[in-house]
Amino acid sequence: MKKQKVELLESVFYPLPALLFVGVMIYIPFVLSGYYSFTEWNGIARAPKFIGLANFKAIFTGGADFLRTLLFTFKYTVLFMLFTNIAALALAIALVKKFRLANTLRGLFFIPYIMSMTIVGFIWRFIFSSGFDTLLANTNLGIFRWSWLGTPNLAFVSVTIVGVWQSLGFYIVLYIAGLEAIPQDIIEASVVDGASGFLRLRSVILPLLAPSISTCMFMSLTNSLKVFDIILALTRGGPAGSTYSVTLGIYRDAFQNNRYGLGSAESLVFFIIVLILTQVVMRVFKSEN
Amino acid sequence: MKKCLLVLALGIALTGAVFAGGGKEGASGTELYVFISQPEYADSIRALITEYKKVVPDVTINYETTQADYPALLKTKLNSGDLPDIFTSTAGAEIDLYTEYSLNLADQPIAKAMIPAVADGFKSMDTGAGPYGFAIKGNFFGILYNKDIFAKAGIAEFPQTLDALEAACEKIAALGIKPFTSGFGEWWVWKHAAMNFFGTATNDPIALTKKFENGQAKVSDYPRLYNDFFRFVDLVKKYGDDKLLETTLDREVAAFGNGQAAMTVGQGAWIEEDVLKINPNLKIGFDGYPISNNPADCKVVTGADQAMRVSNKSKHQKELLDFVNWWYTSDYGKGWFANVAKVVPPISAGVVPNLEVPKQGAAHVAQEGSAPLSIIYSTDAFHQVFGELMQAYVGGSATKDQTCAAIERQWISIH
Repeated sequence: MKKQKVELLESVFYPLPALLFVGVMIYIPFVLSGYYSFTEWNGIARAPKFIGLANFKAIFTGGADFLRTLLFTFKYTVLFMLFTNIAALALAIALVKKFRLANTLRGLFFIPYIMSMTIVGFIWRFIFSSGFDTLLANTNLGIFRWSWLGTPNLAFVSVTIVGVWQSLGFYIVLYIAGLEAIPQDIIEASVVDGASGFLRLRSVILPLLAPSISTCMFMSLTNSLKVFDIILALTRGGPAGSTYSVTLGIYRDAFQNNRYGLGSAESLVFFIIVLILTQVVMRVFKSEN
Repeated sequence: MKKCLLVLALGIALTGAVFAGGGKEGASGTELYVFISQPEYADSIRALITEYKKVVPDVTINYETTQADYPALLKTKLNSGDLPDIFTSTAGAEIDLYTEYSLNLADQPIAKAMIPAVADGFKSMDTGAGPYGFAIKGNFFGILYNKDIFAKAGIAEFPQTLDALEAACEKIAALGIKPFTSGFGEWWVWKHAAMNFFGTATNDPIALTKKFENGQAKVSDYPRLYNDFFRFVDLVKKYGDDKLLETTLDREVAAFGNGQAAMTVGQGAWIEEDVLKINPNLKIGFDGYPISNNPADCKVVTGADQAMRVSNKSKHQKELLDFVNWWYTSDYGKGWFANVAKVVPPISAGVVPNLEVPKQGAAHVAQEGSAPLSIIYSTDAFHQVFGELMQAYVGGSATKDQTCAAIERQWISIH
């Protein structure tokens, strides 16, 4: 009886500090931004002005750039999920093979992931500008003459390439873990049964890797929807505002344009979109598993 | 047991870190909290503070600076009740935004020491009261040009009209040198270039800004904007950088410093020292923008676009005012601008630093007068969008009329 009481007390008191911090840092601001989304507030004046649903109306009638940033984010998300997962899976399959440089290569692919996004952004900005200038002078290849960060479509490609490059290491690690968990005897059995390389991959390895694949898909989905820092460091939303993601657009409206209410409304709408999207994706993968 | 203690200690440390802050009251004397942008002057301001400590030993000044995200950080501080004693905003449009929090300096010695053109930018646009701030520096905005390249191209005098500018570009391009490096990748380059045209499109730039904000004005009603500004932009595009929208400040400074380009766009006094670091022997010329076919219109712009605001909520009002007045009126303070910070002094009694842009700029102003610093009447929020729209124009994704229509629309919605 006494032990049970202690256990009860423990289960109430131990989570309390965590709950307190999560509440102060996440839930209270979340509720407050719900309130601000119904107001017109510049972030400076003492009292926000209540304006009802006007912010939401502005979002959906094109009064704000929200829809454009949403489209950009979706395009980025699709490409990011596709390329990261395919590349990470291919590299992981190569890197689980036993060869001399395997461990070194694993390390090399992981390094970009532990670097800060901002630093990665600045490094690539240097490569795209000064680096490509030098390469152009030495090789005279046309692709180095292109303005990779100064043309809207190319800037999108650059952002995607750098985003994929940076996070590849993380997904490789997840896939390697998944691959190494596949029982060796199943693979050997398939070899004995005469399954060639591609058939083995398609019918044996991939199905057994399904849990890793759904984890990676899910993580790449949420990470790419949140994309922010890489764009801020690489293009700052430019050129001509062509690379604004939703998060960067919210930041711009709330903190640069002094429309805190509009920014809050945008983040609420985005929250609901992300909520629906992740639920759908989770259902899909669950049913496939 | 040991583990318990460790957890307890960590817990206390964490909580302490979260709930710390406040506690600005030092044990000995008064503490003032200065939180301003423009970190490029951090060393000079620290020197100023050290000097002030010698004069008034029982006032301690805590100085903090950042450039990235300064406005967002300042707002966070305002809303959490941690208002700095001195903070920064831009001049002009942002003056009214923060009047709730800042002191009118009109009856202070600092206001009398300030150059009138600088003080005007710190007055309320609504009421004309103020100044509600003071400046770290005055500034000169104009075109920096490479005198050697101009001499080589056989151009005796810096072009004062748009026609002359076009002729000069042709001659320079014939040498295989880029006439312009533009920095068009930066949004603020656009406002610096546009203000030369905007400030002379009418006699009253404040009223014109208000008309655009209320939707009563069209770009095409003002030939100075619709024809001359776009002609200038087209010229810069034609004779400018290869990767036009990728050219940011660093690349512009490099191209000009290395002698790859003859003229800069959207810059002013602040890049001279960086240019000289690349090539100490560069012969820099400085002049206004050719904005029309009347040579008399070609003037440099002077003034200050950043305002240091003095908090009206400070508990140490007297000490605070003593400090800022000392900054502008003491002998050390008066010499600080030119000798320590090496900037154009914002005070009437200042010494001009030994650099080309301030020297030539001051000479131009003395001879021809200056054009108004008209950018400050719109917010930077608008200017960022304006920069993006102009980038779309030079990038070829929007026509001139589409660009003008978008500018009119955004001016109404963001200000």
